[in-house]
Amino acid sequence: MYQLQPKTWLGEATSVKRLTDNAFIPFDPDNTDYQAYLKWVAEGNTPEAAE
Amino acid sequence: MTYGNVNVDTVTTSTAGGILGAGNASIMKNRIINGAMVINQRAFSGNPVNAYTVDRWQVSVSQTGKISAAQSTTAPTGFVNSLLLTSLSAYTVGSGEQFILDQPIEGFNCSDLGWGTANAKTVTLSFQVYSSLTGTFGGSLQNNAYNRSYPFTYSIPVANTWTTISVTIAGDTSGTWTTDNSAGIRVNFGLGVGSTLSNTAGSWSSGNYSSATGATSVVGTNGATFYITGVQLEVGSSATGFEYRQYGQELALCQRYFEKSYNDGVALGTSTLNGIVANAGVQGAVSSSEVDGGTSFKVTKRATPSMAYWDAVGNSGKCTRVQVGVSTTNNSSVADNNIGANGFFVYSASGSSASAIWFHFSASAEL
Repeated sequence: MYQLQPKTWLGEATSVKRLTDNAFIPFDPDNTDYQAYLKWVAEGNTPEAAE
Repeated sequence: MTYGNVNVDTVTTSTAGGILGAGNASIMKNRIINGAMVINQRAFSGNPVNAYTVDRWQVSVSQTGKISAAQSTTAPTGFVNSLLLTSLSAYTVGSGEQFILDQPIEGFNCSDLGWGTANAKTVTLSFQVYSSLTGTFGGSLQNNAYNRSYPFTYSIPVANTWTTISVTIAGDTSGTWTTDNSAGIRVNFGLGVGSTLSNTAGSWSSGNYSSATGATSVVGTNGATFYITGVQLEVGSSATGFEYRQYGQELALCQRYFEKSYNDGVALGTSTLNGIVANAGVQGAVSSSEVDGGTSFKVTKRATPSMAYWDAVGNSGKCTRVQVGVSTTNNSSVADNNIGANGFFVYSASGSSASAIWFHFSASAEL
């Protein structure tokens, strides 16, 4: 359902891709999509590796 | 020479000590955004699954395929739009299930209400509804943590007739009510809510209640229709006239939470160059590796937004690699690099020889 993203040129990945709609979810705790991603991970799910 | 009669409204009284924003003001008194359902950036029409429909209005469902939503031109006098919700079956809602229309109001926009303190202000929720059903309907106000709830009821006595509703709610003096960029107050309209998520109307309580006990279930009747517009939440113990805002103002308010590159009224993923972001390219300077792009948002976002991209012909998660004056290659890879509340940086890692990339985008920072 999610895929990790490559590191940016600054050396850190900054988002995860939601595969249902190809949206990039930033690692911002105020972003409700990111909150949903964290909940999904906490439920025992694992995102796909970065390409 | 006589030019005709002129009617003059004369101010004969004044009120001393009135404070703007204290409920007497007519400017920005409505804490609801897009209460008249006029802004529909997503051009949404379909079966929402915990998704936003017209701007700022979300339909949350426990089961898919039970309800559809669309912007409608059926509207009461003084309005041009409503939101239409249609039941797609005769579904018996389970005790822990819910189907609701809701708008989370950002905490910054209701921080003056003093909820959670002894000085909590009274508010009035008003709206107009039109339904094929009659009876007692329900909804609630809730805090961000879903542990403070005020269920309310209202009556639709005549089917297929616009009914004006007004509900006055004493501010909550307990609980935690956020006053930042998270959800401050959630305004819910029940469309079918189970007993576990319903409670007695008319008072605050601890717990997660989306509606009032015994309220009519819209999803319980196949083909039932429910239109709503003119939603206003204001300070004070009585409803005042709906606050009309200019279209551009309302759109800008919505764009704090969602914006797109497509023209108004054009659905996401449409094949069009109108509004596409075309990052600068130079003829002759081409590369088959990384080409970068990005742009600023029209409105600063509530939080760092989630980004989606489409190429020129509407392929999701893709961009168009462009060799200026030579070729355009759709369905090319795109990835975000750094997203901020004011703009974003995107790139196409590899593909056809290109000097620029084109893409449409949406940015969502919804609550």
